[in-house]
Amino acid sequence: MSYLSIEQVRKSFGKTTVLEDVSLGVERGEMVAIFGPSGTGKTVLLRLISGVFGPDAGDVLIGGHSVIARGPEERDVGMAFQNFALYPHLPAFENIASPLRARGLAGAEIERRVRATAELLKIDHVLHHLPRELSNGQKQRTALGRALVREPKVLLLDDPLRNVDAKLRYEMRVELPRLLKRFESTVLYVTQDYKEAMALGERVAVLNQGRFQQVDRPAAIYTRPGRVEIARLFGDPTINLYPCRPAAEADGLAIELFGSRLVLPRAAGETAGRPCLIGLRPEDVQIQLEPAPGAIPVELDAVTPLNVRTVLFLRAADRSEILATCSESVGARFGRGHRQVFMRLDLAKALLFDQASGQHLPAAA
Amino acid sequence: MTEATLWSRLLRPVLLTLVALFFLFPIFWVFLMSFQTNEQILRIPPSLFFSPTLDNYWGLVSGKLVTAAGTLELPFMRNLWNSVVLSTGAVLLSLLLGVPAAYAFARFKFRLGEDIAFTLLSFRFAPPLLVLLPLNLYFQTLGLNDTYIGLIWVYQLITLPLILWIVRGYFEDISPDVEHAYRVDGHGWLKTFLKISIPLARPGIAAAALLSFIFAWNNFVFALILGSSSIQPVTVGALAFVTASGIQYGQIAAAVVLSILPTLTLALYAQRYLVEGLSLGAVKG
Amino acid sequence: MAALELDRVSKIYGSRGQHGLRAVDAVSMAIKDGEIIGLLGSSGCGKTSTLRMIAGFESVTEGEIRLGGKVVNQLPPARRNVAMAFEGYALYPPLTVRDNIAFSLLRDKRSKAEVETKVQEIAELLAITDLLGRYPPTISGGQAQRTSLARALVRQADLYLLDEPMSQLEPQLRAILRARIKDFLIQRRMTTVFVTHDQTEALALADRIAVMEAGVLQQFATPQALKDRPANLFVASFIGEPPMNIFAARIAREGGSLRLTALTEDGADAFSLSLPGAETGGQLATTLGGRSTVRLGIRPHLVEVGASGELAGTVISNQWLGDQTHIGVELGGATLIAVADGALAAPVQSAVRLALPIEALHLFDADTGVALMHGLEVATPGVQAA
Repeated sequence: MSYLSIEQVRKSFGKTTVLEDVSLGVERGEMVAIFGPSGTGKTVLLRLISGVFGPDAGDVLIGGHSVIARGPEERDVGMAFQNFALYPHLPAFENIASPLRARGLAGAEIERRVRATAELLKIDHVLHHLPRELSNGQKQRTALGRALVREPKVLLLDDPLRNVDAKLRYEMRVELPRLLKRFESTVLYVTQDYKEAMALGERVAVLNQGRFQQVDRPAAIYTRPGRVEIARLFGDPTINLYPCRPAAEADGLAIELFGSRLVLPRAAGETAGRPCLIGLRPEDVQIQLEPAPGAIPVELDAVTPLNVRTVLFLRAADRSEILATCSESVGARFGRGHRQVFMRLDLAKALLFDQASGQHLPAAA
Repeated sequence: MTEATLWSRLLRPVLLTLVALFFLFPIFWVFLMSFQTNEQILRIPPSLFFSPTLDNYWGLVSGKLVTAAGTLELPFMRNLWNSVVLSTGAVLLSLLLGVPAAYAFARFKFRLGEDIAFTLLSFRFAPPLLVLLPLNLYFQTLGLNDTYIGLIWVYQLITLPLILWIVRGYFEDISPDVEHAYRVDGHGWLKTFLKISIPLARPGIAAAALLSFIFAWNNFVFALILGSSSIQPVTVGALAFVTASGIQYGQIAAAVVLSILPTLTLALYAQRYLVEGLSLGAVKG
Repeated sequence: MAALELDRVSKIYGSRGQHGLRAVDAVSMAIKDGEIIGLLGSSGCGKTSTLRMIAGFESVTEGEIRLGGKVVNQLPPARRNVAMAFEGYALYPPLTVRDNIAFSLLRDKRSKAEVETKVQEIAELLAITDLLGRYPPTISGGQAQRTSLARALVRQADLYLLDEPMSQLEPQLRAILRARIKDFLIQRRMTTVFVTHDQTEALALADRIAVMEAGVLQQFATPQALKDRPANLFVASFIGEPPMNIFAARIAREGGSLRLTALTEDGADAFSLSLPGAETGGQLATTLGGRSTVRLGIRPHLVEVGASGELAGTVISNQWLGDQTHIGVELGGATLIAVADGALAAPVQSAVRLALPIEALHLFDADTGVALMHGLEVATPGVQAA
């Protein structure tokens, strides 16, 4: 049985139902990233677990015991808020000490534990400052320290890296998992950045339309998204999607796309003849300047460099638009675009979805 | 750009001085009057030059009003004390009732919540005289007439809505996350209210208390109808200066100066909190 | 369409004396006809003030703005023939999305048919065809932003000014809309200046980017040049995601070669690299002069993670993000972030070897932060790229 379990939780505010039917089990010491587009109730869910709100239906169990009847102060849950939510009238030390004071620990013990936590977070030199005198990064670490200092069994992190700059965000992405391992807490990490979810979650729970649509390891979600919406949520640029109607052939599944006939190297299964969406990840589309057998001629209309990779904007003969990515050095060869190039597709990695239901149609085994 | 410089360098200070003169002159004049005898005040044309006298103040402090028609007993110091008791009492009671109520209105959505809050505010709309006559009858029956308690109760009409509405705004500005964080830390709701909500709303509470104190201090009608001389505040007590032998302008002026002093001191003291309030609102980055 | 020139343009708020706030400090830029320029910086860096001066909403305190060769300092906004998309969208609430977009075209007395075609075209480009009949208050922030963008781009103007044009766009639409807009701007040779705080957006859209900080133009160059040859530490750490790894470093001369030792945050030695010495990298030695300390910058995606590297470290994080992998490596107490394409088999806690090719290294002055070397190339001073 999972250490933290959320069972069929439902929550509405007035007429809008935010959480329809949410269930999730998290093992002891596990870190699960809760990811979803904004407004899907990720924060509401954390608040239901921390006890700030009560659910309309369902249960929350910690260590096998229902905590739904307990107030937030009785649940032994640590939480870091997106806006830090520090106590502006108290110095950093007192902010971090607050959970220990609530437990009535002795002054010396509080002093020792606050210092130890602060050292770990590298904020021991600013403990006497008020929150408004701290930099954003220090505020964020203070908030984290407050959540960690009492070594909670369950730790809820509500998008803690949202309001910090890029440098600190990347530092924390490396540091945070190491730090949390020391505390052996069960962690729920809410984010609306799919990269952060993939980077930090041992498993990722995709919250969309009021329920968890898929809960799995990051790699599994990226390579085998359960639904077309999930495929669209993971990946930047977004996955290319085109309607198609596959036909069974001797050597695989044939589709009509980009004015060409393409054959997917997989068994037809039940996909033949069914209206489908084919998904091609931008990194599975290779672009070259020279024609080659099997390469589809397309027009390169814009080159938009991303950070590490460059995005190429292509238009096929049938006017459909394709986004491809390549490494920066390759991208530099294409100039400002507006020329003919040739496209190769890694069709083995193509994803098929049922057009009506959006369900992923895996290749028949 | 050059016009802007001319404007900011010359015109603005001149205009500001004019405005300041316009508003401050009456107070300045009253201040001067308080050191003059009635004859000096009433001479025509008025003059800025006179030999100052403390007689007016002395008369107020000793409680003896010397007029052409003889000496009158004047309980001015008693009035002043009454003002302090009534205003302080009214504000304290309002804080006790209004701050928790303001918190409730700010944080919780409950049935008729908005209506109740509005009804409380609407007490400020009704002309006081409308309520006063029936109230007078009730108070006589209940024995509240001519008591501090009775007047403080009626003063709630003035102070409670003010405190409720101003403090409510401040509570609404505090991020609920800060309170949630404190609860999650393991503190109960009452402690959260006392240790987080109240301190964070303190500038608002101070401002509201100050404002309602001034309103209570300046009230006239309630005390005039519902109180006798033993509990009347300065506003009503000043009526005594209108005597059979004329109006004692000098002493009225001295009384005005004396009755401004407490509120002025309070305002200067509370300013510290009001300024602090402006710089405290840093929850986010 | 026209060229735009900013000649030592300053904006001073408040009085002109010492107390005035220099929001924009002597910014010069020459923007060619048809070029797409991004003004990039964090909030309060002066980018928006610059844009508003170009638009004419803000007076120019010092310097000149020339549009198509003509000084426009004193010209009111309406007579500069510029189109602008506002950060707050500024849509007309009583008009439908269609009428909002068509507004300026109708004012210019274009024929109904022409207006309709143009509106349809731009609406398709920005994926708002379904919204044309709706009213602004009923659409989402992202949709309003696309409408506002459409209203600016549909016009026939000499210059297009876009203030944070894509900040609210739905994440799934961002990449494709950026691409379509860039294609649209290039095809029509539209001279465009846009303001953004998001480097991804600036890199994607702009031909050249002006990086601003504290009112001062830090560097004005192509996206590639900003990454390969950042003018100073500010630009180096601002551009790139993950950001450049930056360490304090000590230089020691050993016979003919130079030895560079990177330090940890506490000042202890972390790892060292040997740089080509006098024979191979003569310029390097000259540029570094008598310096004994520098700041060392290492671009994450140029670090080679593999068996043959000269540096040995421990993997502390390995995060696969679908199309790239971010690896955190501990090197003698310092943390270095590397980026690789695709997945990489390097489990956490395992030993790993790294190679730092000379092109991945940037050296900056320890005090001023000014760039000294980019790989073996001597940094050229100044903000304008050659």
